[in-house]
Amino acid sequence: MKKNTPAQKFNKFVPWLYLLPGLVLVALVVVFPIGYTGYISFTNMSLYHWTDYGLVGFRNYVRAFSRADSEFVKSFLITLLWTVVNMILQVSLSFLIALGLNAPGLRLAKVYKTILMIPWALPGYVSILLWRVGVFNGEFGLLAKLAMAFGLGKTNFLTTYWGAFFSCLILNLWMAMPFMITMIDGALQSVDRSLYESAKLDGAGFFRTHFSITWPSVWPIIAPSVAMTTFVQFKQFDIVYLLTLQPGGNTGAGLQTVITLAYTTAFTSCNYGLSSAVSTIIFLIIVILFALLSRRTFKEAVS
Amino acid sequence: MKKYPHRRQPIDWIRLVLLNIFFLLLCFLIVVPILYAVNISFSGSADSLSTATFFPSRFTWENYRKILFDYPFFTWLGNTALLAIGTTLFTLVPAVFGAYAFASKRFHGRKFLLYVLLILNAFPAVLTMYALFRLFKDWHLLNSFWGLIVIYSGSLTIFSIWNMKGYFESIPAPIEEAAKIDGANEAQVLFKIVLPLARPAIIVTSILVLISVWNEYIFATTFLTGEGSYTLAAGLYTLQHNDYTRLWPLFAAGSILISLPILIIFYAMQRYMVSGLTAGGVKE
Repeated sequence: MKKNTPAQKFNKFVPWLYLLPGLVLVALVVVFPIGYTGYISFTNMSLYHWTDYGLVGFRNYVRAFSRADSEFVKSFLITLLWTVVNMILQVSLSFLIALGLNAPGLRLAKVYKTILMIPWALPGYVSILLWRVGVFNGEFGLLAKLAMAFGLGKTNFLTTYWGAFFSCLILNLWMAMPFMITMIDGALQSVDRSLYESAKLDGAGFFRTHFSITWPSVWPIIAPSVAMTTFVQFKQFDIVYLLTLQPGGNTGAGLQTVITLAYTTAFTSCNYGLSSAVSTIIFLIIVILFALLSRRTFKEAVS
Repeated sequence: MKKYPHRRQPIDWIRLVLLNIFFLLLCFLIVVPILYAVNISFSGSADSLSTATFFPSRFTWENYRKILFDYPFFTWLGNTALLAIGTTLFTLVPAVFGAYAFASKRFHGRKFLLYVLLILNAFPAVLTMYALFRLFKDWHLLNSFWGLIVIYSGSLTIFSIWNMKGYFESIPAPIEEAAKIDGANEAQVLFKIVLPLARPAIIVTSILVLISVWNEYIFATTFLTGEGSYTLAAGLYTLQHNDYTRLWPLFAAGSILISLPILIIFYAMQRYMVSGLTAGGVKE
């Protein structure tokens, strides 16, 4: 074999030249802060130890996992529940809605699709604040008005734990489902129509047809987006924070996901070491989940 | 085989009617919160507390006039635009080069890097916010637009690389090879062949980056605390945050003003967004 000529050596180098600006940027503002967060997690940095902090070993991690002292375990479980419930509802409801939109003879399908997309198009924080004031507010929110119309007293769902959970869930479905509907609607276009004819001849009903024909052809197409959406649900922060935890607007529901917990531990309780420990644990969880998921789901995208 | 005559069975009619009723109800439920806000934004402040829900009893532009001229709305708008445009420029240049390298070069460590970027993309930026906050405080970059632009660019570069990589891969390799055989060098291939062909992808990605910055609030409200450097998000936040009983009509008007440009852009490029999503995520 010939030795590499200088030109070939240079060619090997070229891709890295292209990647250099991007990688430097990412290393600087994404990777380095993650490392720094990991470092802080081993210190006792807090409001009282802003500059004179010291290393404390795993003390913050022990605190995160000891129930009495921190909410980490509880918030982790509720985050898991939140993610699972959201994904099940989102995917199944979006699948049914997308099927409906593709029903033969539905002339207004395009109009419906356009209207259903509106929540996707709105800026997220605007939607959340609008819902906070316009829907959930205990005095002139739509829910309060509805409750009063039915003769019930003033109600504010955001003040109780599960009330806040379901309020956030509804709002999240409102905001996130347009994307899922669009993905499934797109995937439905690639289903082989002739299969439906044979299913009809075989006498298969609605559920049988869509369970054994439509779903198996749609799933491989939407799987990468579903996987990415799962991470998005897991790291949902804006809804819980803006609805129930705003400084000065805390509703006292006590609902914390792991992400809001990490945030409030740092920016409200000023316990930076503990907050960073929570962040680091979440980061490790994401890496592990990814290792489990990525091989199959993202193989095509990465190739 | 004889084709079935195209006559609908009664059962199909019933099904269609039910389906239409379902979708009309669904669409109504979806837009109710927005209709309510639109109505409030055109109502006098007294109306917002009354029973009026979908039609203002007295139509007025007063709330829009107030939010635009009695509040520093245009300062907020200017700050947001500065951040959005700055971030787009700062993101797209490294991202275009990166996406090109991933799409048309094969090199050692490519797959590994792509996985790493995917993981970093799944990682919530909020979690490293304190670390960044502290570093920026030490470097005197708090309350600096440049500081925030650099932060935004970091995570958006990852998104943009992934978003454009798919398009870049759809450019047939023979075109590049032919240019090389004709004697074009590396730079000529990139600037004269690849980039012009990838222009739609670059434009769509720029707009998506622009929208993400426009829609961002938590970093904007944490890193820019001076009142003169408020973005639209920070401004709107204060409106609902303070005595919002009184300010609810103003807040509604502000929300609509902020959302309108995004709504228009979204529907104008809906087709590209959807195709971009599928092209980036799944490949045949």
